[in-house]
Amino acid sequence: MAEQSVATPAPLDIPQPQVAEGNVTFSRRNRLERWAMLIPAIFFQLNWGWYPLFVAFFLSMTDARVRGPLTWKGFESYTRMWNDPLVGQAFRVTFTYAGLSILLTFMIPIIVAILLMEMRPRVQRWMMLLWFLPLSGIANTILWRYLYNEQYGFFQYIATDILGQSQQQFLSNSNTVLFWLIFPGILLFGPGLIYMAGLQGIPQSYYEAAEVEGAGFWRKVWTISLPRLRPIIVTLLTFAIIGSMQTFDWPQIMTGGGPGGASRTVVMYMYTVMNNLRYADATALAIFLFIVIMIITITYRIVVKEDPDV
Amino acid sequence: MSLFPKVGRNQPKTRISWTLVVVVLWLGVFLHLIPFYFMITTSIKPADEIMQSPPTLIPQNPTLRAWELAFKVVDTNLLAEPLSVYFRNSLIMTFGTLALSLPITSLAAYANSKLQKGRGARWFFLFFIGTLMVPAAVTLIPSFLLTRNYPFPLPQAPMIPGTTQPFPTIRIWNTPWAVIIPAVFNAFNFLLFKGFFDTIPNSIIQAARVDGGSEFNIFRRIVLPLSIPVYAVAAYLQFSGSWDSFLWPLVVFQDSNQLPMSVAINNLIQRFAQSGTTNAQAAVGANLAIRQLQEAGLSWNGLMVLGLLQTAPIFVFFIICREYLLKGVRIRGLK
Repeated sequence: MAEQSVATPAPLDIPQPQVAEGNVTFSRRNRLERWAMLIPAIFFQLNWGWYPLFVAFFLSMTDARVRGPLTWKGFESYTRMWNDPLVGQAFRVTFTYAGLSILLTFMIPIIVAILLMEMRPRVQRWMMLLWFLPLSGIANTILWRYLYNEQYGFFQYIATDILGQSQQQFLSNSNTVLFWLIFPGILLFGPGLIYMAGLQGIPQSYYEAAEVEGAGFWRKVWTISLPRLRPIIVTLLTFAIIGSMQTFDWPQIMTGGGPGGASRTVVMYMYTVMNNLRYADATALAIFLFIVIMIITITYRIVVKEDPDV
Repeated sequence: MSLFPKVGRNQPKTRISWTLVVVVLWLGVFLHLIPFYFMITTSIKPADEIMQSPPTLIPQNPTLRAWELAFKVVDTNLLAEPLSVYFRNSLIMTFGTLALSLPITSLAAYANSKLQKGRGARWFFLFFIGTLMVPAAVTLIPSFLLTRNYPFPLPQAPMIPGTTQPFPTIRIWNTPWAVIIPAVFNAFNFLLFKGFFDTIPNSIIQAARVDGGSEFNIFRRIVLPLSIPVYAVAAYLQFSGSWDSFLWPLVVFQDSNQLPMSVAINNLIQRFAQSGTTNAQAAVGANLAIRQLQEAGLSWNGLMVLGLLQTAPIFVFFIICREYLLKGVRIRGLK
């Protein structure tokens, strides 16, 4: 590699690396190494990222089953799923769930992160240590099923004995089940690690300058912290929308879709259809969901620019 | 440290709001610890105490019975294999994914961030993260079929034309590879790595290049030591995600001796829930094994034990990554 240094003239076919940033040319060896770094990832991303996506469109137009040859069915499974009343219900549930959970829980980590950054570093370290103690998702569902138990659960105790309410139904009331599914996310509020990372990157001098200008608490949050966090918020909100539209694990384990499908999301219904070995129908349903998510995401991306200043 | 004014901290209004913030934050920490407290105390309560109303906050008769019984669940045909088998499967699955995914994803992110320029880099970036927009549900069935007959996404491999011989296929279904291989490239971690590598000044790398280092050497000697925090974050995210993954293992495993903890525990929860152990009134027709366990005093306490066992590895991994995670918060501070 020594022959590539600036001091030694490079052989003819190897372009000499230019030191100027942003305009780097690479030697052949560097090119080889670059591809060596990229190719494994490209291979896996093609095979397990993009390939299944295209296959999904193809499969949904056939009558894919566990065994036996495929026959082309066109849009049959799409019309079947379109006319399935349970699909409509599942989409209503999904929209409500996604809307509620984003409305009620998305802002919390941002606010807590901003407030947590006010603490002294030592206190901050302790709080973060305790806050990020992990609890496995499955352990969490076991616990909350117990807490929500209608006879002897902790919440029933609070509702009846302390607040003097009548017996609550929590997860078995179809009107409130979605709220109670989201409630743990509100109760166990915490800061977002990624927001904290973003806040760390804001130079102190901004705040000092703002203070000299006479800016108060809200002014600083509104004009310095939030604008700096904006790109992160926009990105994470995108993921939150996509993620909440395909909720599966939590309601599946907590309620199994009950009562009467009041908490059965689209992915849960898809899972049921798939378990009945109706692969084409399940894939068609997933593609419906994909289209809906795409529409929402694109609309949102058009309305909310990542950085209005650019 | 900066939102509250430095001057005039002692004014009553500022002090009250400051105290309020502190109280709210500690309350959050406190609430966050409740689940742990509940899980641990419930696991050492006897069964009848668990179903008491009002619930007892401090266990009246602490006992380790549930722990013993939870390990004995195996002898009663509720689970096909001893817990250690599921535990080992989970470990293989998770560490296999980590060992392949971290280097491949991070090297690609590095190459995309520092070795590719201009339009090519942008297209590759979209190629790598584009699948993040796709709901996992869409690719679930095709991926499942691919694990059965790779490279054919069909329930059965097609025949070689003119013969009755099917095309040779690779079948990773029902082996740990079925979980590991699809997870090797992790688009979210790619985004995380790329975002970090972008903050490393080009001049450092350029200087090393001028000094005559190969790209791999530059990566290993200069970039890698700088990126330990982001590796810790990515490893932790991948570990906890993989350890807890539920739907995909449920789909690709058939033999009970292949299942990871997450699926085994969930199966057990479902059986218990159906049989009514977790309901006050005993269910009709509960199977005998569960009945016996119930009579022996296993209920929610046993499930809590399983939940704690499921949490323990994530906990240990968290402790290992903790220092790096806390450093990782300062990722963006690097300039």
